[in-house]
Amino acid sequence: MLKNHYIQRFLKGWKIFIQNPLGKMGVVILVVFMLMALASFFVPHINPMYDPMTGIDPDIKISTGPSLTHLLGTDNVGRDLFAQLLEGAKVAFIVGLSSAFFSIVIGTVIGMVSGYAGGMVDTILMRMADIIMVMPSLVILLILSSLFGQFNIWIIVFIIAIMRWPAVSRVIRSQTLSLKHRPFIEASRVAGASHLRIIFRHIMPNVLPLAFLYMTFRVTSAILVEAALSFLGFGDPSQVSWGMMLQWVWKSGHMFQAPYWLIPPGVSISLLTLSFYMLGRAMDEVLDPRLRKEGQS
Amino acid sequence: MSNLKKYPLIEMKGVTKEYSPRKRFFSKCQNKVLALNSIDFSIEKGEIFGLVGQSGSGKTTCGRLLVRLEEPTSGSICLNGEPINKLKGIGLKTYRSKVQMIFQDPYQSLNPHLSIAETILEPLVVNGLGNAATRREKVLHTLEIVGLSPADDFYDRYPHQLSGGQRQRVAIARAIVLDPDFIVADEPTSMLDATIAIQLFQLLTQIRKRFDMAFLFITHNLAAANYLCDRIAVIHEGHIVEVNTANNIIQHPEHPYTKRLIQVQPGFDFNG
Repeated sequence: MLKNHYIQRFLKGWKIFIQNPLGKMGVVILVVFMLMALASFFVPHINPMYDPMTGIDPDIKISTGPSLTHLLGTDNVGRDLFAQLLEGAKVAFIVGLSSAFFSIVIGTVIGMVSGYAGGMVDTILMRMADIIMVMPSLVILLILSSLFGQFNIWIIVFIIAIMRWPAVSRVIRSQTLSLKHRPFIEASRVAGASHLRIIFRHIMPNVLPLAFLYMTFRVTSAILVEAALSFLGFGDPSQVSWGMMLQWVWKSGHMFQAPYWLIPPGVSISLLTLSFYMLGRAMDEVLDPRLRKEGQS
Repeated sequence: MSNLKKYPLIEMKGVTKEYSPRKRFFSKCQNKVLALNSIDFSIEKGEIFGLVGQSGSGKTTCGRLLVRLEEPTSGSICLNGEPINKLKGIGLKTYRSKVQMIFQDPYQSLNPHLSIAETILEPLVVNGLGNAATRREKVLHTLEIVGLSPADDFYDRYPHQLSGGQRQRVAIARAIVLDPDFIVADEPTSMLDATIAIQLFQLLTQIRKRFDMAFLFITHNLAAANYLCDRIAVIHEGHIVEVNTANNIIQHPEHPYTKRLIQVQPGFDFNG
């Protein structure tokens, strides 16, 4: 029965979501990229030369265009570009979703605590958020990686998350402020509930939908930051990603000689971020009834 | 009990509540609002005490002070003769298990994400009473008491599946599930229509009889207070202008403000 309630809520939201053309397109594109990411696990097993990082076609010494054995062609050392593109999809999902998830967790907890506690705690946390919010995350990442050498992909994920929580916490805080004085929160205080219980049991379920909405926008920015960082040559060198592919095409001087190498990762980055953005916009409509068209409920 | 002096259940002694605007840098003006001015009254065990006044008279503030949602600026509140102003931690929790509140708006006072069972279970869980099975029993029993039967049917529902009157019954169930000594009912029927209001009044009377609980019934409706209460206090601009038994207040009002309140009461006063 309990699960039933959440399933009902979800189905109702899903109906409105999927009626939105943006939502529909976003889901379709997202599903395609998800399939690509899944495929990246199987491709190296077909033939070891399809391994995106270490697989080299022994017959090929230079970058070649699309062919039957290499659907998108190969790079200048004979690695399969299609396999790299699939691997890139996987990495984009890992980077985007995990750093968005971390920043949402940090942002939601800090936002709820700050809004609920008020006073000094609120002031300190929000000034901290302001300070981080005005820092350009890409520049910070560049400085850090030039200071400490090249980062592991997980450290990059973590730094993006640390740089991106303040906007989330601001929104969650304002939502918490309006929830704080609702009678059901006061009723729970009268019943003797602790502050922690009120925050996690009563406030969190009410702000969670908003947090998920912001998560989709965080995914977009995380993917873009990682791609930019990799393209500039500060990415994780042991990890293929779309940004890395662009960096390799640039560094090997094939920028204008091999469109089959340059275009797919660029288009993929744009499409995947676009699909998350469309998802967010459609979700916005589910959460805010004022944005809906007449007749939808 | 060695002490011979008998204390009332709840006593407010010279309670004053001031609201001052938030202090800001460089601002010198301080327009303090005096919500309650030296309030004194006491409520006996098992009594329904009415607090009648217009909007902004401080009646709701009075109720919020009693459940410690707010702190008085001065004066003291005592439960069985013991002051509660300084209670913290365990002491405060114990106090809160004895004093509960029913809120005005049943649409706002239930968390939309919690089922009826979870809402009523909360006081039991936070006070660590019983185990899963006995809690369930207690909740079902309480649902029956407040007239939501069959209780099994309501147990797993969510607030949005209930009507306003049913929601307020759930709120009452949440208030009585700990078997408190005293309940503050802050205009519990002002959001509901008249027939449902009467049913709820009857429910409150039943509960009082059955559990010997005392109520502070806050209302702007003198007729409702007359129907339900043993004694009534009339509050006006933070002062209690008159306290008397319900009959005396209606039949022989003394203060001009009380007289005016009775005059503006619509003609159809109900007597049960």
